[in-house]
Amino acid sequence: MGMAAFLLRRLLGLVGVLLGMSVLIFGIVHILPGNVAYAILGEFATPAAVAQLEAKLGLNDPLPVQYWRWLGAMLHGDFGMSIVMQRPAAPLIAEALGRSALLAVFAFGLVAMGGIGLGLYAATHRGRASDKVLTLAQFLLIAVPEFFWAILAVLVFASWLNLLPATGYAPLSEGVAKWASHLVLPVLVLAFGLVAHVSRLTRSSMIEVLDSRYVLAARARGLPERKVLWRHALPNALLPAITVLAIDAGLLIGGIVVVETVFAYPGLGRLLVYAIERHDLPLLQVGMMVVTAIYALANFVAELLYAVLNPRIRVAGATA
Amino acid sequence: MLDATIRTGAALEIEALSVAYPSRGGWLQALDGVSLSIAAGSVRGLVGESGSGKSTVVLALLGLLGPAARVTAERLAFDGHDLFANASALRGRRIGVVFQDTAAALNPALTIGSQVIEPMRVHLGTEHRAAWQRGTDLLAEMGIPRPAQVMRSYPHQLSGGMKQRVGIAAALASEPDLLLLDEPTTALDVTIEAQILALLDELRSRRNLAMLLVSHNLGIVDRLCDTVSVLYAGRLVESGTTGEVLHRPRHPYTKGLLAALPRPDRPHAGRLAPIQGNLPDLTAPDPGCNFRPRCAFAVAGCYRPQLLSGDRHQVSCHRVDAVADLPWPAEPVPPTAAPVASAVPLVEARELSIRFDSGGWLQRLLGKVGGVLAVDRVSVTIRNGEVLGLVGESGCGKSTLGRLLLRLLPARGGTLRFASAVVGARPDAHFRQRAQVVFQNSDTSLNPRQTVGMILGRAVRWFAIASIDAEVSAEVDRLLDLVRLPRSYAQRYPHQLSGGEKQRVGIARALASRPKFLVCDEAVSALDVSVQAAVLNLLRDLRDELSVAYLFISHDIGVIAHIADRVAVMYQGTIVEEGAVGDVLQPPYHPYTELLLSSVPLIGKRRTVAASTQAARAVPMAGGCKFADRCTRRVGPICDSVPPPVQQAAPGHGIRCHIPLPELAAVPHWLSQ
Amino acid sequence: MTLLTLPRLSAPSALVLGGALLLLIGLAAVVGIWFTPYDPAAFAVRERLQPPSALHPFGTDEFGRDVLSRVLAGAHLSLATGFGAMAISLAVGVPLGLIAAFHRGVTEEVIMRSVDLLIALPPVLLGLLVLAVTPPSLWKTIAAVGLVYVPIMVRLTRAVALGLLEEDFVQAARARGEGAPTILWHEILPNAWPPIIVECGLRVTFAILLGSALSFLGLGPQPPASEWGLMIAEGRDFLRQAPWVCLAPGLSLCVLLVCVNLVGEGLRERLDPQLRGRSHA
Repeated sequence: MGMAAFLLRRLLGLVGVLLGMSVLIFGIVHILPGNVAYAILGEFATPAAVAQLEAKLGLNDPLPVQYWRWLGAMLHGDFGMSIVMQRPAAPLIAEALGRSALLAVFAFGLVAMGGIGLGLYAATHRGRASDKVLTLAQFLLIAVPEFFWAILAVLVFASWLNLLPATGYAPLSEGVAKWASHLVLPVLVLAFGLVAHVSRLTRSSMIEVLDSRYVLAARARGLPERKVLWRHALPNALLPAITVLAIDAGLLIGGIVVVETVFAYPGLGRLLVYAIERHDLPLLQVGMMVVTAIYALANFVAELLYAVLNPRIRVAGATA
Repeated sequence: MLDATIRTGAALEIEALSVAYPSRGGWLQALDGVSLSIAAGSVRGLVGESGSGKSTVVLALLGLLGPAARVTAERLAFDGHDLFANASALRGRRIGVVFQDTAAALNPALTIGSQVIEPMRVHLGTEHRAAWQRGTDLLAEMGIPRPAQVMRSYPHQLSGGMKQRVGIAAALASEPDLLLLDEPTTALDVTIEAQILALLDELRSRRNLAMLLVSHNLGIVDRLCDTVSVLYAGRLVESGTTGEVLHRPRHPYTKGLLAALPRPDRPHAGRLAPIQGNLPDLTAPDPGCNFRPRCAFAVAGCYRPQLLSGDRHQVSCHRVDAVADLPWPAEPVPPTAAPVASAVPLVEARELSIRFDSGGWLQRLLGKVGGVLAVDRVSVTIRNGEVLGLVGESGCGKSTLGRLLLRLLPARGGTLRFASAVVGARPDAHFRQRAQVVFQNSDTSLNPRQTVGMILGRAVRWFAIASIDAEVSAEVDRLLDLVRLPRSYAQRYPHQLSGGEKQRVGIARALASRPKFLVCDEAVSALDVSVQAAVLNLLRDLRDELSVAYLFISHDIGVIAHIADRVAVMYQGTIVEEGAVGDVLQPPYHPYTELLLSSVPLIGKRRTVAASTQAARAVPMAGGCKFADRCTRRVGPICDSVPPPVQQAAPGHGIRCHIPLPELAAVPHWLSQ
Repeated sequence: MTLLTLPRLSAPSALVLGGALLLLIGLAAVVGIWFTPYDPAAFAVRERLQPPSALHPFGTDEFGRDVLSRVLAGAHLSLATGFGAMAISLAVGVPLGLIAAFHRGVTEEVIMRSVDLLIALPPVLLGLLVLAVTPPSLWKTIAAVGLVYVPIMVRLTRAVALGLLEEDFVQAARARGEGAPTILWHEILPNAWPPIIVECGLRVTFAILLGSALSFLGLGPQPPASEWGLMIAEGRDFLRQAPWVCLAPGLSLCVLLVCVNLVGEGLRERLDPQLRGRSHA
């Protein structure tokens, strides 16, 4: 399979997933028991009010028609209105997305570097005390939910030590220090559990590579250990790490929803929770679609990266 | 005696090397006082079956056994340097190594070139461009076509034979004086093996290399080595020149090993002589002779420690003179008279084909269907009680043909008849009962969660041979008796059995339905020679006792020659030659048969083969002879365009080739001594 | 096929220790449904936000309810989420995985593409989506969390079954003419369950984590239920004055997760053939 065919396949897959997801999101919102209009107006709304809202939202049309209208509008950049805030959804989402992206990028960088670094360290110090301490720490870290980390962090750094603000967000215009101080805790909490996860998997894949025949062969060729590790083992051990990081991107998105809620951080996660609480279904649909698209893109990028770094996919065909 | 082994000019000297690993059952003594030396520029073979510890020797010499292993030796020296202290300085520099599994020994993420030049860059400090040029030359020297292009390729783009050439090139890049070869051809087809052996032979004379060839294959040791050491369960049992050890073996184990080996140059040479029993427990090494429990000549004095003694031909057996003229005893022949294969056809396949599609659903959608005709209009007939041997290289479609004959795969066309009745695509229980199968890999062929009794009992019940518990267990006992296993084995799980025992259970399971036809798919290929002989004898006895017909699939021509009545040679989905075993193994040959037979390493016959290095085309040309692009005896364009006719060389001996029969007959008899 | 791999501790001790502790928690949870030191729902305004003491080992909350009693009364909810969701993903995922393995072609394609779709939604979001539209409740949380792990179970089961179908002992059964149900029952299932059980062990941990996160977001059992995630969310407003209201359920959750983890790891060590093979080598 050549690189072009690979790309085409993945691209088609991406489109398929996004289309399927739009059906799924639309379907769940409209088919699950619980009428949309009642959901918005509350259980005790008068039938007249319900009928009026249904007409306004076009809820009386057949579902496929509604879906088609919704999808077509989105493809044309019309993300609809937030019915609770009575504002267009697009700018709301864009603003929130920017703030969430800030958290995600910092946290993801921390996870990638910290997780891979610790994993490699543990693998090359296999069986020693430092490896065992790391193993135990990871074991315990994974068993602590993110929202509890967040609570603990607020308790220690905000309430007791008074070092950092407990909640909220400050734009960059209010000064770098203030801006950063609002980011530190959410980013650290987001990264904590995932670092344990990534380092764990990096360790096991590195150990597998170190036990491989080609590493034995490299040693048998008398290469210095430094070269064996960095040139022969590392590139092969990092390939599975990419897949893991892609999976973790999904966990990170989930974590962002929780962490933004705890820290009252005005990002996309909080917007979604808000939309759920207030039954702002049009906003919820579009927000979900955006998050899903981002996750699908992240996976797509991971697959491409994997393919580019893996000669078995990148270079096809036989030479001899 | 020790002084005798330290000769001047010895490249490698090992004295009393012992290696132990920690295991669950305590220290596992992988090597126990092994001594050997290699003179500069000479080749020593180190022979042993699985579990003998032969690969451990290689890793010990390189200092790569890992921190857990306990290594001791009186002397471990290379060219005067102590390998204990300096292994890391010498390995890769003056000692090169080639491993068995080349697919795993090359780094998938790095180009061939960067792996070949690495030793030059590290050890010789060669500048990158010069090293690249040297690497390209080296690949050319290894007989690799288009070396410059291969340098830039990745391992997955190369065939197995080419990867092994690259492995050798990388080992030679830093101009070592000693080359360690750990089963260098075991994973390769016999024709590729012959090419690699020829290359190694050429290299040792051209570069004056010393080599240690570790192998289980006595044929390739005889082909390449000056001296041989035989290893059994961690101890050296015999050592001497190749001629002496392999042609006048003195230790009982070596005698047994040679007697157990099916020889292609001796078809139907009667029963093989297997070595009974299993490898001893290495966690509790026997202070006396550790071969004693399996030895046919063991007597009271064998409990004493045995020392390797003798001058040039050393043997560690105190009875060496007493047993000097005794051959290893063959198994007694069972009392049943051997029935001759009858002339009545049992299995008749006509024009069976199967295509394996490649590509996923997307390619299918876009109409880009790739695929290979794994079996291309093959017709075979197997008569009642007859053994048809099916031989060919890996990927030629022989296993697929076996499954087509059992209707385990859907054929694309053609007909199958069994005992004159047509067998449809979904055969009835009657056919299933009479046609059964024995697999190669005894580890995956038995359900690990069922006892032997359950495995056999299920087959017995399924075919309604018996249904009451008592009758079923009586039937299970009968089956165990049939394959010469103790009845108590019914209680055991597969992981409690040795490889040979598992294979016997696999055979018993196939026999449970009392079939008339068995497909034996590489049924003895995974077994060590000493065990393989016993299973081959068993299969032969069962054929005689029960008059079952076999399709015996194997890549090993020795095994085929031993057991088959008739042989079919398969190449890329087509049968190119078929006939009685005696006819096929002597001229006239199909050119492909000739290539196979000339490639088989034979004990006592050193020969050089001018085999073409041309690899088979992935998708052969439509219409013509499939072997045309590898054939060294092409007639002309007709080979590429016209399907070759079947020429009758003798009654029942067909050759599918354009070359006239007299020309095909005018070649040497490759298997004659 | 395991998406998340947990650290490894020594085998039998992990299983025994974790199993014993989990049993203890389970016992406490069952008892806690009917019997607690105080009525977990009884308000006592004069005793609100009292720090831990002999009378109230975990203190009291903003309504003066005894936190220990609430933690005990809520224990079964977390356990129910974890094991209930695992049971759902098992009950739906394993049959679908087997169907996909046995019916190559259109059926397989439909199942596996649906799985791709479900897996393309980040776990918390799938839960959010399901719980957003209808009023939340415990069984819906369990169903939503179970649904999240169905695709993983389908993929695992299918991969294991496909691997086994290639094995020679299955080929031998086919050569005897045995049909799919017989092969499934005698050859596939006995060999497929260890990896599935191992995966289940891991999934319980993540199901409890996810379930409590959803409760924390207000999408699980509703007040006055004493689900631990919900309790933490409620206690947030008094974090500074009364940290015990959050810490007690939070630490309980951590202890529960460590125990489940230990059991999962112990099962893995005991059953994973790959790990077993490695320890022999």
